[in-house]
Amino acid sequence: MPATIEEPRSLPIYEVDRLTVDLYTDKRTIRAVDDCSFSLKPGETLAIVGESGSGKTVMTLGPLGLLPEGIAVHLRGKALTARGDLLAVSGRHRAAVRGNDFGVVFQDPLSALNPMRRIGPQLAEQARRFAGLSAVAAKTDAISNLRRVGIADPEDRYWRYPHEFSGGMRQRAMIALALASRPKILLADEPTTALDATVQAQILALLKQIQAEDGLAIVLITHDIGVVAGMADRVAVMYAGRIVEEGAVADVLKTPTHPYTQGLLSSIPDLDTPIGGRLTEIPGAPPDLSSLEAGCRFAPRCFAVTPPCALARPSLAPLSSVTSTTPTHKVACFVMQSNCQEPIR
Amino acid sequence: MLKLFYRRLALAICLVGVASALTFALIASAPGNAANFLAERAAGPKATHELVQKIEHDLGLNDPLYIRFFHWVGNVADGRLGESLRTGHPITEEFAQRLPTTIRLLLGGGVVACFMPLLIGVAGALSDGGVLDRSLRVLAIVGASAPNFFVGALLVLLFSVRLHWLPAFGTSGLLSWVMPWVTVGLFPTCVLSRVVRVTLQELMSRPFATTGFAKGYGRTGVLVYEALPNLAVPFLTTFGAQFALMIIGAIVVESVFAWQGIGAFFIDSIRFRDFPAMQAILMTFVVFFVFVNLLVDMVCMLIDPRIRRSQFESA
Amino acid sequence: MINRLRERLGGISPYALIPVVLFVLVAVFAPVLAPYAPGMQVITDAMQGPSFAHWLGTDYLGRDLLSRLLLAARVSLAAMTIVLVSALAIGILIGSIAGYVGGKVDLVLISVIDIMLSLPSLIIALALIGIVGPGYWSMIAALTLAWWANYARMSRAVVASEVHQPHIEACRVIGASHWWVFTRHILPSVLGVVLVYASADAGALVLSIATLSFLGLGVTPPTPEWGQMLVDGMNYLEDSPSMVLLPGLALTLVVVSFNVLGEAIALQKLPRAIKGRVLLKRIRARADEEETVKRGVQ
Repeated sequence: MPATIEEPRSLPIYEVDRLTVDLYTDKRTIRAVDDCSFSLKPGETLAIVGESGSGKTVMTLGPLGLLPEGIAVHLRGKALTARGDLLAVSGRHRAAVRGNDFGVVFQDPLSALNPMRRIGPQLAEQARRFAGLSAVAAKTDAISNLRRVGIADPEDRYWRYPHEFSGGMRQRAMIALALASRPKILLADEPTTALDATVQAQILALLKQIQAEDGLAIVLITHDIGVVAGMADRVAVMYAGRIVEEGAVADVLKTPTHPYTQGLLSSIPDLDTPIGGRLTEIPGAPPDLSSLEAGCRFAPRCFAVTPPCALARPSLAPLSSVTSTTPTHKVACFVMQSNCQEPIR
Repeated sequence: MLKLFYRRLALAICLVGVASALTFALIASAPGNAANFLAERAAGPKATHELVQKIEHDLGLNDPLYIRFFHWVGNVADGRLGESLRTGHPITEEFAQRLPTTIRLLLGGGVVACFMPLLIGVAGALSDGGVLDRSLRVLAIVGASAPNFFVGALLVLLFSVRLHWLPAFGTSGLLSWVMPWVTVGLFPTCVLSRVVRVTLQELMSRPFATTGFAKGYGRTGVLVYEALPNLAVPFLTTFGAQFALMIIGAIVVESVFAWQGIGAFFIDSIRFRDFPAMQAILMTFVVFFVFVNLLVDMVCMLIDPRIRRSQFESA
Repeated sequence: MINRLRERLGGISPYALIPVVLFVLVAVFAPVLAPYAPGMQVITDAMQGPSFAHWLGTDYLGRDLLSRLLLAARVSLAAMTIVLVSALAIGILIGSIAGYVGGKVDLVLISVIDIMLSLPSLIIALALIGIVGPGYWSMIAALTLAWWANYARMSRAVVASEVHQPHIEACRVIGASHWWVFTRHILPSVLGVVLVYASADAGALVLSIATLSFLGLGVTPPTPEWGQMLVDGMNYLEDSPSMVLLPGLALTLVVVSFNVLGEAIALQKLPRAIKGRVLLKRIRARADEEETVKRGVQ
């Protein structure tokens, strides 16, 4: 393909730069996200992986102002979109960007959808407000939207309430709602965790199809490596509020470099694991996010820890290793970077 | 859903039946003999023992309790509520004269207590921790603590005695209703404002509120489009409870403003030991409470789509 | 020091408790604090405004208003305490029996409780007063009977849920008597829940006592009580409004104190978001912390 057509597509559509998020309650203060950066290109899927409390949701939803009310939040850094820096604009502007450019799919559609409002009118409302459609056109658009996400008999379903849908249908409805405003970026926070396995596969296939059709960029939060392997182009691994490894899915999954990533991947049982054998685990427990300490946060649990690890925070830098094919594979680890070690598997 | 309605109706009727039986039993077993009283009134100090016994026999006061109860229920069904011991007039007549006053009072108070809390609660929620929110909260607490007779007296003092804007007595003309309506409606308004405010606060932190933000709404939009529809059921439930309680406010207000409504009738009959009147009025109250609660339950069932559409649950 | 007090009280703000404690103290020490006997009438001094001899003025019979107000506090507190203690006793007893025994007994008792709860307390009280006649003790009895049902319902709920806990069954297995199990293990939880509710409910009770007295069906003259003083004062609203204003204010203040206490108790269970200056202070503190960590590393 000629380079000139490639170029616009390789510019990021959403770029988060040095984001730090502190959460304040009257009891304690937590640094949920500690100086993280990532970027998203149109049409690509970025998966963010980590255990509960690693900061995946806060990092993804925080800049948009979608964290729950009742917690005081302080955000620093930049979150750049075509319409400006989300952290620097007014609340109203941020709401407009949310509506126009972003669509969000939440984990539990039953609680995320308003029980007192019908599904259809909400979709039509989004189309009217952000896609500029008239009332009549918006309704038609909503119905075709429902059909597109795989909901049968959309004319009837248009007037239904969320509790009248089954679990998989509800998640499809939520996807329809997220797409109704014709966003460029879709944020999906563990969209399949609450569903059973067959439905999971269907939803993921649906997302992939829509992405191919619309050129959507997707940020997919998950703790399931299988989902990453099946859906994502790039992946960022988070631990204790920091990104510890990042790169193309193939690179990271085939050659996990950071000790945490290695631990994550080796703890997944596969067909070669002998029956009755022990699963590998990562010793220790996640750290307390309310205390600020110097040094690598994974050090207490790391099998490759050295004395310098506790003194300074390792920054995310490309692997200068012959085994890594692209400079986009980055790791935040002193040991792994300097030694250019073969990952222990 | 119709089945649910019938069940509730049956329950309500049972409740009325049991409550009326209880009140009848209590009042009928009260010390003080109606017969003595009537005899005295008829024959003065010359009332003889035979006269008292004759009256007792005529009124069926010697029959066992349950027979008297059924007699009474039969009478009520016929529309005969008995005669007031105090005035000698049929109670139905008194009711006909007094009921409109009390009903107008309750309706006016009800309107105040329905719309003001919504205004106040939403205003507080929009302000969210700001000066308006905090002031409204303080005012609501004070308003819910002040005795309604004090509020009434204050209003009369300010608007009648000092400013001469509103008339203190008499039930004619709209202006004479303003202070009583405010007095009767103040306590429920303050209680309901707190409920609305706290409920809205809780609703704004639910997941569907976050979805509302994700849709591109600001705080006001989420409050209006996502939270408010969910306010309906909790609001109505509390409103129903407060509306039923307003009857007590009506009793006090009728006393403060010297109005002749059912409330005043009740107090008079208590002071006077006028048992037939007390019986009839208590029954009216019981029916009122039970059916207000029933009505509120019904409306809530109609509004909440989860209950209304339970037969359409589909895959 | 304030924070240690806060902890002792289970997390509620000590400031919320101060007004109520003040009321109790004033009420208890009223006879000592009152400058005059409440019944002392000096007709020639009637309806005077505040003066050095009478700090709050006098009423239509020449009685000192300040003394009457103080003693009325005592009357309210006494009546409220008697009713609360009795209603709590009855309510906890019946509720606990219903929750502990269960079965048919429970069914009967819960029906009774529900019927009692379907009518507002004051209407029940009024009906009972109507039967036995007005007066101080009939008011006490009527209010007690009107108030117990809510406590019974709450006790029943607590007892019913606690009774099935494994540790209770374990106690029974090792041979503890029902009484021992109840008083040692279940009753503390019941008391915890019910007393908390009752302390906030006390305000409503004071209001009911005042309302009944206002209607002439509770505390009767010459005993001073705020509601009763107010109804007397209604006749003199134009000339001497302080006879109405002072008892009304006293009542409002006392009930506000109880309501504030109730709110404080309710709020301590919810986590609070911090805002405004407090948030800014925390943010700056956090930034300073960060600086020290960074400097420490270098």
